[in-house]
Amino acid sequence: MDTQAVQPAILLEGLRKTYGTGPAAVEALKGVDMAVYPGEVVGLIGPSGSGKTTLLKCLGAVIEPTAGRITLGGEVIYEHGWKIRDLRALRRDRIGFIFQAPYLIPFLNATDNVALLPMLAGVSNAHARQRALEMLTALDVAHRGAAQVAELSGGEQQRVSIARALANKPPIILADEPTAPLDSQRALTVVTILNQLAREYRTAIIVVTHDEKIIPTFKRIYHIRDGRTVEQQGEGREVVAAANA
Amino acid sequence: MINLASRDIAHGFGRYLLTGLGLGLLIGVTLSMAGIYRGMVDDAKALLESWQADIWVVQQHTLGPFAESSSLHDDVYRGLRGMPGVAEAGNVTFLTMQVKRERSEVRVMISGFEPGRPGEPTLLTAGRPVTRSHYEAIADVKTGFNVGDRIRIRRNEYTVVGLTRRMVSSSGDPMVFIPLKDAQQAQFLKDNEAIRNDRSRLAANPALNRPGVPGLLDAVEANQFSNRNVNAVLVRVQPGWDRQLVAENIKRWKYLQAYTGEEMEEVLVGKMIATAARQIAVFLVILALVSAAIVALIIYTMTLAKIKEIAVLKLIGTRNATIAGMILQEALGLGLIGFVIGKLLATLWGPHFPRYVVLLTEDAVRGFIVTMVICTIASILGIRAALRVDPAAAIGG
Repeated sequence: MDTQAVQPAILLEGLRKTYGTGPAAVEALKGVDMAVYPGEVVGLIGPSGSGKTTLLKCLGAVIEPTAGRITLGGEVIYEHGWKIRDLRALRRDRIGFIFQAPYLIPFLNATDNVALLPMLAGVSNAHARQRALEMLTALDVAHRGAAQVAELSGGEQQRVSIARALANKPPIILADEPTAPLDSQRALTVVTILNQLAREYRTAIIVVTHDEKIIPTFKRIYHIRDGRTVEQQGEGREVVAAANA
Repeated sequence: MINLASRDIAHGFGRYLLTGLGLGLLIGVTLSMAGIYRGMVDDAKALLESWQADIWVVQQHTLGPFAESSSLHDDVYRGLRGMPGVAEAGNVTFLTMQVKRERSEVRVMISGFEPGRPGEPTLLTAGRPVTRSHYEAIADVKTGFNVGDRIRIRRNEYTVVGLTRRMVSSSGDPMVFIPLKDAQQAQFLKDNEAIRNDRSRLAANPALNRPGVPGLLDAVEANQFSNRNVNAVLVRVQPGWDRQLVAENIKRWKYLQAYTGEEMEEVLVGKMIATAARQIAVFLVILALVSAAIVALIIYTMTLAKIKEIAVLKLIGTRNATIAGMILQEALGLGLIGFVIGKLLATLWGPHFPRYVVLLTEDAVRGFIVTMVICTIASILGIRAALRVDPAAAIGG
């Protein structure tokens, strides 16, 4: 990808996050720089406690960074404080979340789990369900639309949760270890789906993972260690080897 | 927009319904307690109305036969009948005791009356009035007696010749009406051994058994072993007379206490039932608090069970008001189910209570409003817990 010609969907510059104050303060992020472009799936790897989840929470606008700048689609949303008043709407309309576990709403069926997001954004029930059906079809689980969450298999639940993340067609998706509970085959299927969706919808996707099965599939990986990122380009397989070395 | 509360309720409807049933039992008890109080007031009014007495004449400085001990000579009524404005006067006695029927016993209030005079039960649902001077009785249906039953009062057997209804004392004991003389005897009747013992004691008392005063011992015995007292005299005033004025005259000239029907109702409802009403009020408050605690705990537990989902909902942009609304609607739904079940149960078990239970619509409406208010307050705990959920909790382990 010619990254110089396209504006990044996500741009982080010198992002810092410190928990607590005084001697007990813990600096989780020590100046993270990152750029993710539309249609790109980027891996974010690193050991436990390296700051991956903190970075995701800052990006997801659920915790406030201490310093630095966050720019989404050319719009600065954080610099010396949030630049957007309604962070809830930001999360709802511009960021999709995929979690380690599907975390579907157990009292809604598959379609309504997906349709809930557009409905929250003010889309009419009929249109929201139509959009949910489109997403479920794209993820090959439309036939399970009427099923309750408990009736879905683990793989189906994860697909529905991906469909939910895409329901408002956000420019950014943050995936927090989306393949952790899945076997190798299903994990690779999920990554393939994410790549397809990224291409199809021009979505920038950051996948936080420990999963060595899927790391080789990323074209670009950010390795986070001690709160700082190191960009590693090339085949993921090499990155894994380098990281292990 | 999807109604999250209705979906959540539908998802675990069995558990929700069972919880509502538990709450319904509490609400049913609460409504029944209110119904018992209403029944007590209603019983008191019905009791006074059925005697059709305009004035109750009782011992001076007492509150009358129901609230305090009152004793009058049984010839007082003669003097009262001669007073201006008095149409009729009749003696009545009251005595609470156990009455035997075959092998069972029933606690009743015995009332002695003079047939044809005020004090006689007039509203019969079965049988006939008392026509003989002795050993016939009219019983309230709550006693469980039937016309023709033989009941034992002290040493004598009575035949139930008629039945009446809504005649119960303020403590809820159903009434049995017997002729005045029998009732007077029953009040003081002792067993044979006690009578013999008393006679021996009197005969051994030199002050009462003087050889120089023949007949003294007999006179004392006759006085001691008989009863010429009644508890009240019921008066009906002549048409056109002010009952307050007649009562005032009785108080002034006879040195007796006289209450109009309204004043006696005030004594019964305002004084005698007041204590019971306060007890019921305290119970109602306790039940309301217990209900609130139960609803609060249930809603709080239900909320805690959904913490991760709530975090996800908040993360994906659900408004706090939507989440709070879901919890509030679930609490109100619980209250609604509880109230419907409670009302149904109170209606079903009401007739089986030993006391008369009056379930008024206005009490039900009040109960419904209170239930909804309690559920709203109780949901605050759950709503607080939900609003404190950090959407960041959805990200990471």
